[in-house]
Amino acid sequence: MVQISRGRGRGLMAAAVTGVLVASLAACGGDDGGSEGGSDDPIVIGTSLPLTGEFSQPGQAAEQGYKVWQEMVNADGGLLDRQVELNIKDDASNQNTVVTDYNALISQDKVDLLLGTFSSLLNLPASAVAERSQMLYVEPAGGSPDMFNRGFEYLFFAQQATADKQGKVFAEWVAQLPEGEKPTTAAYPTLDDPFAAPNVEGIKAILEDAGVETVYEETYAIDTKNFDTIVSAMKNADPDLVVHGAQFEDGIGMTRAMLKADFTPEMFFQTNAPSFGSQFTEGIGEENTEGIFYAVSHSPDADTPGNAEFVAKYEEMYGEGEVPEDAADAFAAAEVMQAAVEAVGSIDDQQALADWLHENEVETILGPLSWDETGAPQGEFLIGQWQDGAPQIVLPEDAATAKIERDWMPGGAG
Amino acid sequence: MTVFLQSLVLGLLLGGVYALAASGLTLIFGVMKVINIAHGAFLVLASFITYTLWDVVGIDPLLAIVITTPVVFAIGWATYKVVVSPIRSAPMASTVLLTFGLALVLEGAMGEIWGNNSTAIRPAYADESFTLGGIFLPKAQVYGGLIAVAVLVVLWVVLTRTWLGRAIRAAASNPSSAQLVGIRTASVAALVFAIGIAAAGAGGAITGVLYPFVPGSHYQWIARLLAIVVLGGLGSLNGAVLGAILFGLAETFTSTYVSPSWATAVPYAIVFAVLLIRPQGLLGTRLREDAVAA
Repeated sequence: MVQISRGRGRGLMAAAVTGVLVASLAACGGDDGGSEGGSDDPIVIGTSLPLTGEFSQPGQAAEQGYKVWQEMVNADGGLLDRQVELNIKDDASNQNTVVTDYNALISQDKVDLLLGTFSSLLNLPASAVAERSQMLYVEPAGGSPDMFNRGFEYLFFAQQATADKQGKVFAEWVAQLPEGEKPTTAAYPTLDDPFAAPNVEGIKAILEDAGVETVYEETYAIDTKNFDTIVSAMKNADPDLVVHGAQFEDGIGMTRAMLKADFTPEMFFQTNAPSFGSQFTEGIGEENTEGIFYAVSHSPDADTPGNAEFVAKYEEMYGEGEVPEDAADAFAAAEVMQAAVEAVGSIDDQQALADWLHENEVETILGPLSWDETGAPQGEFLIGQWQDGAPQIVLPEDAATAKIERDWMPGGAG
Repeated sequence: MTVFLQSLVLGLLLGGVYALAASGLTLIFGVMKVINIAHGAFLVLASFITYTLWDVVGIDPLLAIVITTPVVFAIGWATYKVVVSPIRSAPMASTVLLTFGLALVLEGAMGEIWGNNSTAIRPAYADESFTLGGIFLPKAQVYGGLIAVAVLVVLWVVLTRTWLGRAIRAAASNPSSAQLVGIRTASVAALVFAIGIAAAGAGGAITGVLYPFVPGSHYQWIARLLAIVVLGGLGSLNGAVLGAILFGLAETFTSTYVSPSWATAVPYAIVFAVLLIRPQGLLGTRLREDAVAA
């Protein structure tokens, strides 16, 4: 036996435990200062985004969306004739840090307005900070039903539907497929996440009502790295359809594990990850994307007000390529806030801003958005599908950019 | 039975990679009594270096270990000389904080150099498997596991069959006596730190092929690796290997027979239970001072 050290017992163990605790502490973001409220001063809008850590992919995309909006608004004369400044902090994908950040934005930096962060996980605590301070909180992501059962007045979700309804259009399409084409069995692995899990639950409920048997259903923790055993269990269950509730990294990890195990079900729906354009193709290989379904809020080709200008500005600032859905969602969230501010004509009365949004519909690049009394949106999502190495909108039919294909055909694209 | 064997094989392959990644952490602690919180960050750094060698130069990521490991060894040596050496005699809590700070610096540097987006290394065999009697063996895991075993064997031979190994063990057991017989313990410490980081580097090259990563992935790794070396017994290389294999098996069997949602919690619960019975870990040694403290 190789014994490098003789254990020193409790002292060393305590130090090791200290190490674990220290390692769990997250870093805090920076401080860009705020506005004192002079009429010619810029309007300072504060947000905290997961620019690093597990959600850095969508967090950085959201930052891009906010910055594109800032550029366009300022070029157009600003908001209420005042230039707009963004105070963006990095919450490192950490729930504690995001609370610290929003408290600092409100109490210390004294920002004029807030915009939301990314993912339900982070928006749940962040929106509570805003609500306590009675500040309008328009979030670009955060569709968990749990967001909207707390009786909040200042919270608004700037997408078309909450998470439990985002896969509805896809599930209803599957449910109406003729016998022989309709899958008979389905598996539902999902990340333990307030966005991903309700998304999958919503699809499962519709498919079970349509007679699609559930043969696998499991939730995994956010720090899961190894998906081989989950895939092995799914492979044994042999489903026709896999509906995977994912964010990004786990979506890539699960898909790669499925490919490794040569487990390629006939149909494959995944939340979130496939909407990341080239980052998704780099993660799993463009040739393996063919036929993968996902729910999506934005289409670069949509004929919605301002969409073409947004896409052009995005490409000017960040280069050609797929515009990330999360950048578009962030842009739309800022549009919603802008509409309320311009309609009310002031940023001083946050209650008036919230009241206006409760009573009105806002035109955005995602289409018209409106909300119920909880801030939950009342629309329907688009369904995307990867075809020939490119993302297409396939449902609903009136918004489709390509004809829907039923099967996942890894190795078939690119 | 197939399900059991499948879980067993996947657990062993996973444990082998964990063992390589944890070996450096326990080695550094064994000789220097430094709990290197930056170990996971060095592992992720090696993954990024491997990614660059694969993506830009076109070198197979697993073969790139022969480049990655010496590079990370050199980084480890320099880190010891510049950062760790000056506080060798400081209380252990200071070294914990120092290496945590080092981890944050490395995370920030990796974010600046490679970005904070998720990165994946996908050689041609990354999505392929061997099939054996109904059991699938992912090729990348098999190759990575074999490399991990080979590196661990080399490490074991160096520690047990060479003068350097005797010097390392002497410096670990009794630094004063080691100095009396002519061992330059400061040089040994620098070498051990660099070897430990190099082992993390070899592990990082493998894990980079197996799992996507971001600069912040080091938090997950250090939590796992600390649990493994504490389970095996701080400072024991054999303990780290045993702890890693048990940890890998606990993850896969929990995922298969309990629920994937418990797969990351149950192994830590096992560590907790083992430490209640054997506070020094599975293969750690309990000293007189521990008994007095009890």
